[in-house]
Amino acid sequence: MTETLIKIQNVSMTFETRKGRVEAVSDFSLDIERGEFVCIVGAAGCGKSTLLNMLAGFVQPTGGSISLDGDIIKSVEPRCGIIFQNYALMPWMTVLDNVSFGPRLKYISKKERHAAARLWIEKVGLKGFEDAYPGELSGGMQQRVALSRALANEPDVLLCDEPFAALDAMTRQLMQEELVRIQRDTGKTVLFITHSIDEALLLSDRVVVMSARPGRVKAVYKNDLPHPRKMEVQISERFLELKREVWDLVQEEVMRSIRERA
Amino acid sequence: MKNKKNFELWQVAVIGSVGLIVFLTVWEGAVRSGLIDAFFLPPPSAVLKRMIQLSTGTDAVLLRDIRVSAVRVLVGFALSALVGVPAGLLMGISPTMRAFFNPVISIIRPLPALSWIPLSMLWLGIGEEQKYAIVFMGCFASVLVYTTDATMRVDPLLSLAARNLGAKRLQVIRHVILPGALPNILSGLKVVLAIAWTCVISAEMVGANVGLGFRIWTAKEWSDTGQVLVGMISISITVLLLDILFRLVERALLPWQKHGVHR
Ligand SMILES: Nc1ncnc2c1ncn2[C@@H]1O[C@H](COP(=O)(O)OP(=O)(O)OP(=O)(O)O)[C@@H](O)[C@H]1O
Ligand SMILES: [Mg+2]
Repeated sequence: MTETLIKIQNVSMTFETRKGRVEAVSDFSLDIERGEFVCIVGAAGCGKSTLLNMLAGFVQPTGGSISLDGDIIKSVEPRCGIIFQNYALMPWMTVLDNVSFGPRLKYISKKERHAAARLWIEKVGLKGFEDAYPGELSGGMQQRVALSRALANEPDVLLCDEPFAALDAMTRQLMQEELVRIQRDTGKTVLFITHSIDEALLLSDRVVVMSARPGRVKAVYKNDLPHPRKMEVQISERFLELKREVWDLVQEEVMRSIRERA
Repeated sequence: MKNKKNFELWQVAVIGSVGLIVFLTVWEGAVRSGLIDAFFLPPPSAVLKRMIQLSTGTDAVLLRDIRVSAVRVLVGFALSALVGVPAGLLMGISPTMRAFFNPVISIIRPLPALSWIPLSMLWLGIGEEQKYAIVFMGCFASVLVYTTDATMRVDPLLSLAARNLGAKRLQVIRHVILPGALPNILSGLKVVLAIAWTCVISAEMVGANVGLGFRIWTAKEWSDTGQVLVGMISISITVLLLDILFRLVERALLPWQKHGVHR
């Protein structure tokens, strides 16, 4: 049985700039089910981050509406936890304080929030680093902290804006596996933006291809690759077939956006 | 800054001591050999002797001067920080406040502390209040500007992250803006502390009857160059000590910053 958690209906976003109006997203519609892992791929500048910012409630769409669990998102929405590409950890807080920051803002007692945070820290494999500061950790470890910080705040949805883009290939692979594992454990709904089709196919239940700016839904692929998606899956017929299809569409859009800019 | 060679701390200390000794020896030698007239520039040995005279026995005025000057500096500095830091935070957070206060600040800030001496003496005489006022006027605007700047420099992404985790406006200020601005506020205050010394010494030279500035000035009236130098060296030493103290405070407040390594 499925249940729609996020309803994005005809959303558009137009920015007024000194150089005129920029239509970043236009007439974008998508339903996301509870527990689903959706990846969005699209050319640079096609409005992916803008879409995520609207879901987080940082900005309001200039047209259409986004609802979460039936409520229209009108202001900053803590039920949608964000993982930023640059981690955005508080450098002055230890790992433990960073992870328990969300509950602290809700005035949950120190004992309780620390206990919960320790569990999440352990779950992302950072046991023993509770008292370290972010500056003392590698990029991959910082992103793990960011992930557990988001999860400790018990969001319904995880919004990820190219969270692994800055990591080296091996760390990225590990993080991808970990994210899938955690998502399958917790049943969280995930909306994940990426430039990498491989990453999208590795992680998602569905891949959404966005058109060049203004971003709209160009195509949606059901990703039926079996779990766990280890190496064998990544060289399977089905994987390559999907990759080719998605790549053809993305390429079309990349070329279009290059032509339009020229 | 990164040294090309990374010396150990003790090596730095040894090299530094050698440099100091060479400097003092050249000075001493230049005076003894008659190259420099001891009346204009007494040798280090004479300065040391004068320093001992001034800090022991019946006219041990030096320690009292140091104490009085240091208290003036610290009180004035604390007052300007007490007012300047919160005001600067407010200006850093609110564009309206910034627009409102900026013109006034830009008029006050370029004024050297010395230029406040006439007015402050007319209003407050030459007592302690006048000294505090001079330091305050000389420091306040700088504290304000440094704090405003530090506040505005806090990475807006961190505020977004906090709001995403559910932080309300005041919580963002308390948990993100304040701690995020603290390192730059403290380095600003360190600069201002040095300004505060200049203010006090100048004020003491113009109107005071105790304090290092006063001591230097009276020594000049008596052509006691030894005492002038003792006063000057005392300022250096006190400022150095306060700076070390300040760094310790900084370290305690910013445990997450790697100290010493990068600077
Ligand atoms: N606040 C803003 N004001 C004006 N224009 C904006 C603003 N935010 C985004 N844009 C414009 O909207 C378009 C989409 O931006 P967005 O950041 O959403 O793209 P993206 O798909 O995330 O790109 P990338 O792949 O590079 O991350 C871009 O052309 C960008 O310049
Ligand atoms: Mg983006």
